[in-house]
Amino acid sequence: MAHRMPVQPGEVIDRSDIRRFLWNGKPVSGFAGDTVASALAASGVSIFSRSFKYHRPRGILTADHHDPNLFVQVGDEPNVGAGHRLVEDGMVVDAQGVWPSLRFDLRSANRLVGRFLTPGFYYKTFMRPRPLRPLYQRVLRRFGVGGTVSDHATPVHPEKRYAHPDVLVAGGGPAGMAAAIAAAGTGARVLLVEESHQLGGHLRYTGDETLGLLAELREEVAATDGIEVLTDAVVTGRYDHNWVAVVNRNGAREQLIKARVKCLVVAAGKIERPYVFAGNDLPGVMLSGAALRLMNLWAVAPGSRAVVVAANDSGDAVVEHLERGGVEVVETVDLRTPGRRLVRARGRQRVAEVEIADGQTVEADLLVTAVGWTTATSLLNMAGDLPVYHPPAARFLPGSLPDDVLATGGIVGDGSPDQIITHGRAVGIEAGRRALRRASDWAQSTPRAVSPSPLAAGEPAEIPHLEPAAHPEIFAGPTDGFVDFSEDIRGKDLALAASEGYDSIELSKRYTTATMGPIQGKLEAVNAVAMHAEATGATIAETGTTTWRPPYAPVTLGALAGSDDDPIRRSPMHDWHVERGATPLIAGQWIRPDHYGDPSAEVRNTRSNVGLIDVSPLGKIDLRGADVPKLLEFVLINRWSKLAVGRVRYGAMCAEDGVVLDDGVTARLAEDRYYMTTTSSGAGRVWNWLDEWLQTSFPGWDVLMTAVTDGYAAINVAGPASRRLLERLVEGVDLSRHAFGYMHARSGMVAGVADCILLRTGFTGELSFELHVPAGHGLHVWTSLLDTGADLGVAPFGVEAQRIMRLEKGHLIVGQDTDGLTKAHAAALGWAVKADKPDFAGRPELVWEGASGPDRMLVSVQPADPQLVPPEASQIVDGAAIVGRITSSRMSPTLERGVCLALVDAALAQPGTSLAIRLPDGTNAAAHVMEHHAHFDPEGERARG
Amino acid sequence: MKNRRRIAKYSALSLIKQSVTGRRWSRAWRHHDLQASYDVVIIGGGVHGLATAYYLARNHGITNVAVIEKSYIGSGGSGRNTAIVRSNYLTPEGSAFYDRSLELYERLADDLNFNVMFEKRGHMTLAHNDSSLRTMQWRAEVNKLAGIDSDVIGTHDIKRLAPAIDVSDRPRYPILGALWHPPGGIVRHDAVVWGYARAADSLGVHIHQQTEVTAIDVAGGRVTGVVTTGGRISTPVVVNCTAGWSTLVSNLAGVRLPITTRPLQAAVTEAVQPILNPVVVSGSLHVYLSQTARGEFVFGASVDPFSAYSTRGSLEFAEGLAGHVLELMPSLSHVRMVRQWSGLCDMTPDFGPIIGMTPVAGFYVDVGWGTYGFKGAPVAGEQTAQLLATGVVPELIAPFSLDRFERGDLTAEKGAAAVGH
Repeated sequence: MAHRMPVQPGEVIDRSDIRRFLWNGKPVSGFAGDTVASALAASGVSIFSRSFKYHRPRGILTADHHDPNLFVQVGDEPNVGAGHRLVEDGMVVDAQGVWPSLRFDLRSANRLVGRFLTPGFYYKTFMRPRPLRPLYQRVLRRFGVGGTVSDHATPVHPEKRYAHPDVLVAGGGPAGMAAAIAAAGTGARVLLVEESHQLGGHLRYTGDETLGLLAELREEVAATDGIEVLTDAVVTGRYDHNWVAVVNRNGAREQLIKARVKCLVVAAGKIERPYVFAGNDLPGVMLSGAALRLMNLWAVAPGSRAVVVAANDSGDAVVEHLERGGVEVVETVDLRTPGRRLVRARGRQRVAEVEIADGQTVEADLLVTAVGWTTATSLLNMAGDLPVYHPPAARFLPGSLPDDVLATGGIVGDGSPDQIITHGRAVGIEAGRRALRRASDWAQSTPRAVSPSPLAAGEPAEIPHLEPAAHPEIFAGPTDGFVDFSEDIRGKDLALAASEGYDSIELSKRYTTATMGPIQGKLEAVNAVAMHAEATGATIAETGTTTWRPPYAPVTLGALAGSDDDPIRRSPMHDWHVERGATPLIAGQWIRPDHYGDPSAEVRNTRSNVGLIDVSPLGKIDLRGADVPKLLEFVLINRWSKLAVGRVRYGAMCAEDGVVLDDGVTARLAEDRYYMTTTSSGAGRVWNWLDEWLQTSFPGWDVLMTAVTDGYAAINVAGPASRRLLERLVEGVDLSRHAFGYMHARSGMVAGVADCILLRTGFTGELSFELHVPAGHGLHVWTSLLDTGADLGVAPFGVEAQRIMRLEKGHLIVGQDTDGLTKAHAAALGWAVKADKPDFAGRPELVWEGASGPDRMLVSVQPADPQLVPPEASQIVDGAAIVGRITSSRMSPTLERGVCLALVDAALAQPGTSLAIRLPDGTNAAAHVMEHHAHFDPEGERARG
Repeated sequence: MKNRRRIAKYSALSLIKQSVTGRRWSRAWRHHDLQASYDVVIIGGGVHGLATAYYLARNHGITNVAVIEKSYIGSGGSGRNTAIVRSNYLTPEGSAFYDRSLELYERLADDLNFNVMFEKRGHMTLAHNDSSLRTMQWRAEVNKLAGIDSDVIGTHDIKRLAPAIDVSDRPRYPILGALWHPPGGIVRHDAVVWGYARAADSLGVHIHQQTEVTAIDVAGGRVTGVVTTGGRISTPVVVNCTAGWSTLVSNLAGVRLPITTRPLQAAVTEAVQPILNPVVVSGSLHVYLSQTARGEFVFGASVDPFSAYSTRGSLEFAEGLAGHVLELMPSLSHVRMVRQWSGLCDMTPDFGPIIGMTPVAGFYVDVGWGTYGFKGAPVAGEQTAQLLATGVVPELIAPFSLDRFERGDLTAEKGAAAVGH
């Protein structure tokens, strides 16, 4: 730690707590509180990375979270900002994208051809010879300087947090702290978010005389009720309606905090701007803020012989601090003095000499620049504000802000610490007032009676003016240097781009890639705008900035994803299926039993004895109210007004374009109570569809809709012996054929469970009863059925057996046998379309389809070879033309032959039509269209049995 | 050919010469004063409008053409898409059309003398359930019949082609297979815009940026001119090549389009070393991703479930996207998103574009591209130019005529009800 200075009054390191870590394989040590960069700088490291295009050596520029030169690999984490990440014992830190080493990177040979690597050079070359293009592309990809993604990186999915602060203050400098204290004083709950590891902003490192004031402010924050402080956290986005994203960095375990904020106070401060001149990227050239931070926070001497280039008081401060810290300031170039200017810096691995006006050269290993500020207006832009360039201060300032956003501190203006704190307090009071007024407005609009807060009715707080300090408009020196350090873009590159026709700032950004690196323009945007404006002859104000988009600071995908997993849904009988060794099927959110070993055997048993299938995932909607028939008439294509109590009807639902959306049965259980079932996968979609109509078109209808999918377990009992089985368990319902016929519905008790719904419906074509029982009793009813019916041959069957049986019966599955353009007639549901109804969803299209005839038709098909089962999605061809496709196909255990459903051109839909099916081996197989959709029991005798 | 000019050819040699001599490159495209009349006025300086202008000039010698752009060229969908190209579409007409587009993309760098950096990385659409596997099979069968390289592959091949993809049964929706389409890949989208603009300009086309069309003059059922913020232009032919605002522009000519506009969001990460070669799409997870030559991951999703003209991104999008990406590639959990944005997609009832004539003589449209606009731009430009030059609707675009909605003869691309990238 050769460069460590004596104890500094504001240092944040704990010298008693030594942390050891590896840098490029070599052991280094630092203190607790050190960042990776400060610990390395203290150990004499000056090169931290290589640049993107020329692989130039790069060192500390800002020494904070905005530093474009300090991206390093930390273990499995790529692109970690070494200017921010704190050192930990055992950390493994490496330079990124260098080969063979950071000090000697072979790819820096790029510098030799650097003059040819003008912006957009890749658009002008690497075209010929054409066969070499893939090679060029592969080689170019290898030049990236990003970190490495490890295959075995442990995924991090921290839980997200929701916050509901009245006031959120983004930025914990003096203005932000003052605003938080004042807002809390009004009774508002405040979340104060600071990106650094400590509150205080620039007060932490700009002067000993303000350390006392900082301590007082911190104490006041800590002592004030209602302020939650988050350090090492950053507000990354302000979205519509003050929905604010905060990332709590928390080292490597970033957590996303989502806050609905009543008033947002942006106190993000100023970001120091680099100066553009030849050699401005050499290690040892840094901004005044970097030098001040290194010395005052971490007691690191940034060099031994310094040249300071100053255009403001930060430059003056750095001279004083360097001298006090024992760094010799060999030259101060005050750009405010006419004739004084910096020409260039020279050096190989680090700055060695600095050329100033008149050819005068000074030997130095440190060059500090203080030439201006950029305001961190990104969050304000996201709130709809367009920043305005203010030439006297040489920076952009907020334009007009929405009512729920306020700004304070350096983003607004400058002043003494007292003036800034006074401004912050006033903004805090106003933020509290606005937030409480909003809370009061919200409370008034809820049914609960709440008396308005007295403060909310108060007058707006008077916010003092904070004048931006005058600052010379200085962006570049007489020589050219880097504007964008991340992307290796120089001033002349921007001028060249403009001269080639890329003369709007957005085109220039896209062509040169300036501001598109990981810093996203926070450091370089204003310089880029200034260079571009100079090249095009426009003013900075005319040129404007590119759009700031979220996030303000990079956020890990792990934090964004969090632990939000799509829930897994299981039926009440799930564990039973698992115990019986059922093969699981992932069906949307549900896990279902595909089969219990032999689906064909399950089919045969159901057709000859009795089978049970767990159909709990069916969508279930309880509908009540006088206007339910009107709703059913509207959303379903067939007729509903005359459905009697105790009856069930099949219904199909179409979108407005007539395309089949879903199907299922709906029962009328009582005078004003209906029970709708939907397909398992369509449950959510149908619910939304009905709700949308009710909310947008029929808000006055008396319909109460309740989703009860999870409220009922559903079991279909199918097969010739199903009635005999149920007679043993059902009480209070006459199950006989004449009393409980096909497509009837009853309520009753099953296996001692009351309030069960019984439907004489099913997908298998067998005599079947669908039992919907309160979910908590599902397993009981299921096992009771199996125990009671052992002598009848009862056995469970899975989804696969059901699919086979429905295909044998020619029943369609919406989404499999139909596609995004299949309307009701084409789906062979023309019989259900009641065009004489005055209106229903899809009616105009379906009337049209009915009149002109469908272009395609769903038909049943059997291959000539009974043993052939053409794969689903096989195309039906006529010569080279596609005339249809197989939508479903299975070997039928009942018929012992292949059976299919197919969508074919309408001209081919006539029974008996011969078809050619293209098989995977390229040959065609003969097949023909069947007379009936049902391959088995076309008259439906069995279901009525 | 008064507007034609010779421009310095782009090559490694010219790059070196130019750097050594310090001479500046000629402007890629020039400023012109607005003429009082043009033979053809194209509204929209995106990739479609510029391609149409280029092919009009190059293939048909029609060079008295103006491209009118209200902002800067490529400022709309052309610069906001995720730059994926492919031709493994579901319908025969779709796959034939996009196959031609891919063919044009492959030679675009030579045609335009502008390296658009088409990287043929291969395009992989993952299936997480049996129904999407069935749709993949369907697409593969249709593609094979059309002679397009496309097939269903298993998890072993997925792992081989994209080792970073998690093919284990850990994910909530494990991967069962994929549709693999080797000719697909990524292109530098802005370069396509600039390449077309530079080539069209060199052939004499006028590109007018920062110029907005405020009215379209129609008399006796024929287009007679357009009014712009830069002045009036008389012209017998106007082509609407806009996206996002295509309905509003067509309304100026009194032509109503069956289009709704929806935002589509996208995001990009910091650069990391190359770990993913192909373009990967998951319809079930509503996400598609690729790693650029610079090392960034570019992610896109499906269109937002509502109509809007807003191009702001939402937090929910970023969260959902990240979750889905990590389902596919859990190793990316430490990689950081640096920017999110959105673009506008013009959705038609059948998800197919609308190209060709309208009831107003002389008013043509090339609109309604939904999420496929970038993929189809070269062929749409080429075919639209042919239609304008010959007056005959070329076979490739015949299925996408505006009157198909009146005839009920929709294209079936919507059949693959999944994310189409």
